[in-house]
Amino acid sequence: MILQARDLTVSAALDGERVPVLRDLSLSLEAGRVLGLVGESGAGKSMVGRAIAQLLPPGFAVTAGSLAFAGRDLVTMDGEARRALLGREIAFIPQEPLSALNPVLTIHRQFDEHLARIGVVARDRRARMLDLFDAVHLPRGADLLGRYPHQLSGGMCQRVLIAFAFASRPKLVIADEPTTALDVTIQARIVRLIAEMQEREGTAVLFITHDLRLAAQICDDILVLYAGRAAEYGPAKPVFTAPGHPYTRCLQLANPAMHGTRRALYALPDRMPGLRAYAAIAGCAFAPRCPHVIDDCTRAPPPFVAVGTRHVAACIRAEQTPKISAPVLAPSDDPAQSAPILEVSGLGKRFFSGNLFRRSSVAAVDNVGFTLHENEFVGVVGESGSGKSTLARLIVGLETPTEGRIAIAGHHAGDPDFDAHRRRTVQMVFQDPQSALNPRRRVVSIVTQAMEIGQATWEERLARAGLLLREIGLPAEAATRFPAQLSGGQRQRVNIARALCAVPRILIADEIVSGLDVSVQAQLLNLLASLRRERAFAMLFISHDLSVVRYLCDRVLVMTRGEVVEAGPTEQVFSAPTHAYTRALLAAVPPDDASDVWAPSGTQA
Amino acid sequence: MSSLPTWLRSPRVLIGLAVVSLIALIALFAPLIAPHDPNDQNLVSTLLPPAWAKGGDAQFPLGTDSLGRCTLSRLIYGARIAMTVAIVAAFGAMIIGAILAHIAGYFGGWLDWLIGRTVDVWMSFPPVILSLILMVGLGTGLRNVILAIVLVDWTRFCRVLRSEVLVVTRRDYVSAARLIGFSHWRTVTREILPATLPLLITLISLEMGIAVTVEAILSFVGMSVGSDTPAWGQMIADARQYIYDAPWGLIFPILAIFVTVLGFNVLGDGLRRTLDVRLTETQRA
Repeated sequence: MILQARDLTVSAALDGERVPVLRDLSLSLEAGRVLGLVGESGAGKSMVGRAIAQLLPPGFAVTAGSLAFAGRDLVTMDGEARRALLGREIAFIPQEPLSALNPVLTIHRQFDEHLARIGVVARDRRARMLDLFDAVHLPRGADLLGRYPHQLSGGMCQRVLIAFAFASRPKLVIADEPTTALDVTIQARIVRLIAEMQEREGTAVLFITHDLRLAAQICDDILVLYAGRAAEYGPAKPVFTAPGHPYTRCLQLANPAMHGTRRALYALPDRMPGLRAYAAIAGCAFAPRCPHVIDDCTRAPPPFVAVGTRHVAACIRAEQTPKISAPVLAPSDDPAQSAPILEVSGLGKRFFSGNLFRRSSVAAVDNVGFTLHENEFVGVVGESGSGKSTLARLIVGLETPTEGRIAIAGHHAGDPDFDAHRRRTVQMVFQDPQSALNPRRRVVSIVTQAMEIGQATWEERLARAGLLLREIGLPAEAATRFPAQLSGGQRQRVNIARALCAVPRILIADEIVSGLDVSVQAQLLNLLASLRRERAFAMLFISHDLSVVRYLCDRVLVMTRGEVVEAGPTEQVFSAPTHAYTRALLAAVPPDDASDVWAPSGTQA
Repeated sequence: MSSLPTWLRSPRVLIGLAVVSLIALIALFAPLIAPHDPNDQNLVSTLLPPAWAKGGDAQFPLGTDSLGRCTLSRLIYGARIAMTVAIVAAFGAMIIGAILAHIAGYFGGWLDWLIGRTVDVWMSFPPVILSLILMVGLGTGLRNVILAIVLVDWTRFCRVLRSEVLVVTRRDYVSAARLIGFSHWRTVTREILPATLPLLITLISLEMGIAVTVEAILSFVGMSVGSDTPAWGQMIADARQYIYDAPWGLIFPILAIFVTVLGFNVLGDGLRRTLDVRLTETQRA
């Protein structure tokens, strides 16, 4: 047994009180196996990794239970002994590959230092580095050693760090969201690589992720965490094909599917309770959001119930879980029949750099053309740097195109009243609500900002804010709050409400659900779907997440390097892609069903 | 929960504010507080030490200068000049600097280039020399002292604020305001200015301290207000000749400048710590 936790409890000191962050967590991990820790943000996933490394934030401490690595207790071990273990027998793959490497030192310097620390003699180091680069499929290793981190892509940096992690032939590798910062096609390759290295070295891997489908593909065992407690624990296949805990089931149903019939998303109400709130919950922490809750659930924490071989769920009504389901969506009318409202042709944007004498330019958007019809949702998918966001900014007028035409509801760019017309017709929802909401304005003032220019009185604005908040599903009390007092999902709702206040006919949404938890994402997607039924507007929905686009959009544009390489009805493009890039993008998404084979193309970054 | 804003609960702000308002009150009520007319000469009792020292006279609590003028009264009236210059010059410099900074940071492009280069050229002159040259050109007098300080120090505001405006302008909420139909003027005043205001207030407070020092330098070399108006720098210049016989005459005006500048700096530092959004935004949640 490489890693074993028994009733591990980690507590935080909050205003003099001890609040448990992880409670009674038991898990075991054998050599050569991959254990996935899954759950939404705030569930305590990262705390497990931090407890192993003894890198708990100040004020946090292991207060009960045991945590053993290869038979040695990590909790009582002194600093010296632990430092000897970390980096040698226990290695880490970080979340942000770029910030994990020192930007002012070459890869060689950093790798050399690491190898020296783990005891490789100087004359063997270079050969060792090249061997490891070979193992992680980094071509031209010798060339790479002289480079600095910023000269490498995110995927290459992560490969370098994987090489670092496996250099000491560790017994345990902890990978904390190792692919979150990377594009989908890169993610697939990195995950593959971790699996390959793990098999080759027989290492045990603790894989921390929020992505259920990804976990299903590479993990042998799964531990689902909810509010610091284990909700479900068992081998990956049964956990995902026949979940015993309603939370696991709900999470699956909140994820839009890539194949099969389109179902409504199961959106859990509210969100996971905060630290202090769940310390006060006497019974099952999931009870307030559970669709099958009964009185008994709120009395005592539920015991683990066996729902299969080695498969347990902390639920007293586990037999009810399979009954949770989401309704099939009725196919929507074909909006392509309605009148076009936004027409774009030959649109291009070049960014210039350099000085007067040596100018170079790069095309962020190149010859893009498409039509958006009234009440139609069109998705734009592509990886970072594909020009998706620049396209959005060109359409709303935050950037000026260098070539091409834009026509909005009959008005052409260049017409004298085009800007005023565009302002009335098009609104944008920004990606990051942190930056999109003025921290000094209250919610009322943000959502009714569009009325500030007219002669609206404060009473009129208050009334309008009330209506808008109800429409986007925020309580009326939220009106007087500041953005900092809202959760991420609530902020994004305010962000949408502000755009809706101007009653736009076209909404441009730039990655508005990325960075949100699955259950919050499902709430927002359902909100957009219902707003569409009530309000009738067209939307250009920019996202890197193909399943979200499939759920929401009638048509899709696939962009790479500033160009649209494929366009068509979503279902058609996703089921029968014609362009090689679309195929690669689709193959990189882990399949819905845990028992399907995932075959992302290529292994080179 | 206290209803006081955070910045009023900081000890630095409170101490700074206390010192500064005390001096401001002294300046305001100078005729009521001062025991003598600051220009009254008493040639019988020149260069007296303070009242508590040997040979002191209770009539002149802080002693007299070479012409037998009451040091305390001169200090009290000197505070009027110091405070007037501090407040008016700091606000003047702030207005010019802030307007140009917002134009440069918000519009960018060639305007930013032009304003940025002007500031560069302006700052390449040594500030003290520049203000001396200005004073020679403008002539002495309170109005010209203020004008000289404003013309020298607006660059400080402009440069620091421009980068802050740039950061705020890149926030999506500023783009959102434009998309909703806000004019440039409204966007700057309603979305950007509230975010740069804390820095502005902090800078003003520090600038007031600087203005006090610059005025003292100018009056020390006799380039400030006329000799009939008492000013701290002038008092130092006068007492300099008798430094060995009557060091008191030198020490008191220096202390006055020191305490005033310290007050402004402590206030500015306290404001910076409590108003800086980057430091407080997370705690407000």
